[in-house]
Amino acid sequence: MNLNTSILKYIEDVKSGSFTVEEFTAATLQRIKDVDEAVHAYLSLNDSAINDAKKIDQKISSGEKIGQCYGFPISIKDNICITGTKTTCASKILENFIAPYTSTVVNHLQNEDAVITGKTNLDEFAMGLTTEFSAYGPTKNPWNLDYVPGGSSGGSAASVAANECLASLGSDTGGSVRNPASFCSVVGLKPTYGLISRYGLISYANSIEQIGPMTKTVKDSAFLLNIIAGQDANDDTTIDNDNANYLENIENGIEGKKIGIIKEMTTSDGLSSEVSAATKDAINDFESLGASCEEVTLPTIPYTVAAYYTITSTEAGSNLARYDNIRYGYEMDSEGYEYNSYISKSRTRFGPEVTRRIILGGFVPSAGHAGKYFLKALKVKSKLISEINSAFEKFDYLIAPTAPVQPFRFGEKIDDPVTLMLLDYNTVTANLTGKPAISVPYRISNGLPIGMQIMANSLQEKSLFQAAYALETKTKLPEVPL
Amino acid sequence: MVDEDEIIRVAKLMKIDLEDHGEHVSRVKKMLEYFDILDQIDLSSEEITSQQKSLNELRKDEFIPYDKKLIESLKNFREHYVRAPKMN
Repeated sequence: MNLNTSILKYIEDVKSGSFTVEEFTAATLQRIKDVDEAVHAYLSLNDSAINDAKKIDQKISSGEKIGQCYGFPISIKDNICITGTKTTCASKILENFIAPYTSTVVNHLQNEDAVITGKTNLDEFAMGLTTEFSAYGPTKNPWNLDYVPGGSSGGSAASVAANECLASLGSDTGGSVRNPASFCSVVGLKPTYGLISRYGLISYANSIEQIGPMTKTVKDSAFLLNIIAGQDANDDTTIDNDNANYLENIENGIEGKKIGIIKEMTTSDGLSSEVSAATKDAINDFESLGASCEEVTLPTIPYTVAAYYTITSTEAGSNLARYDNIRYGYEMDSEGYEYNSYISKSRTRFGPEVTRRIILGGFVPSAGHAGKYFLKALKVKSKLISEINSAFEKFDYLIAPTAPVQPFRFGEKIDDPVTLMLLDYNTVTANLTGKPAISVPYRISNGLPIGMQIMANSLQEKSLFQAAYALETKTKLPEVPL
Repeated sequence: MVDEDEIIRVAKLMKIDLEDHGEHVSRVKKMLEYFDILDQIDLSSEEITSQQKSLNELRKDEFIPYDKKLIESLKNFREHYVRAPKMN
């Protein structure tokens, strides 16, 4: 059974009877058994996946109404809740947390008959870019197991790349869907802020984070967005998308479209020569597809990483205050502790990066320091929004490589916090401005992937997919060597 | 220049017990020093903007029945109270 297939091809094959949902699910679970000891994409598996698949087969054979997903296997990042299952956020503090409700996105998937394979690894509470900050050990990059898969949705990206499912849902606060998508050679979308409900996503930085699909193809990404996007009464930040069909006209091409090449992201000091060369070739590809490309400067970009970390740490400091080991947590006897010292002691279970972000999150908005950090960061955000809105008056798309570098070896950057932060340099702009952005696999260079990022104006996902699909047709990438 | 004692004081307020002061404090300090870049951008004409929603756009303030007793999923409770360590 070929597990390296797209969702759309899978659905065709199930409809035509080439295989049953149960057969495909069983083969996927076998694949997980075969490779996940090495890849470590999953933190937990759905024990009832085969039963779920059987039920869908029964629906198909009895002619009952069947959901659009036809039982394709999908993994879910372990910071998204599913009733009755563990949701750990890759943290020791939530080691035994069983979600009492299901997120809106997973509800949509289950209503449309998707089969959930399991929950995937991440940097603890989605804070990181390599999965090295997972309390349960890092995920390996399926393209080379000595290299990081990117993060924080590294388990999701690796599970798709290693054919351990057909798609995954990740979450993107500063690039956490697009960065691992780029590092593992899968398609990763960060939609317009508010397009997908965050109900049931464990909060890290509410004002900018979004759930996003991670898939093998651009069309699969559009298909999945059709299912999970839309207004939700349980998330008041969601916006109406008029039931848009993102697959419609996806092959329309980009003839005559105007593309801005973001100067600050394509000439930064941290850009590797391989990524730079790939970007130049991608620009040629866009031109050969009939688009016109021109350099555009967004002068606020060099300040975005500092603004992003200031805002997200502040929100994280507040969001993570709930982990006091009283309402959630692990067994720790309160005998001998006073209220506050009990909480402080129990919070030593947070990993190092989360601990640092909480401290930062207390520091940057505090009375004596808010003027220097937090309020400035909010102003940088406003300035960036004005700049990018002006750019979108002239251009249909803004492009840059998704990450300034290719995947690197484990341990290579973990000791330098500033180098780690700068990996977000090309991705945080979409989060701070709320604009949609997609990472498209573009090249395998020296055995490691490079992704290209395309950004569009708010709610222009349909147009974004057209550009992403057009670029995808220009690429011919090898299969993952695993 | 950020004062390390100030970082330690904030950590305490955030209920972080710094068992390994040195490593966390110095890394937080490095991150804060990087944030000094925010001093280099002219923001004098910039206003803080925020998205707003009017009350009628919000969900109705209605009781939605829930079929489970959430308190029972807590690890330590008595009747309908959460049990917590004693306060001094």
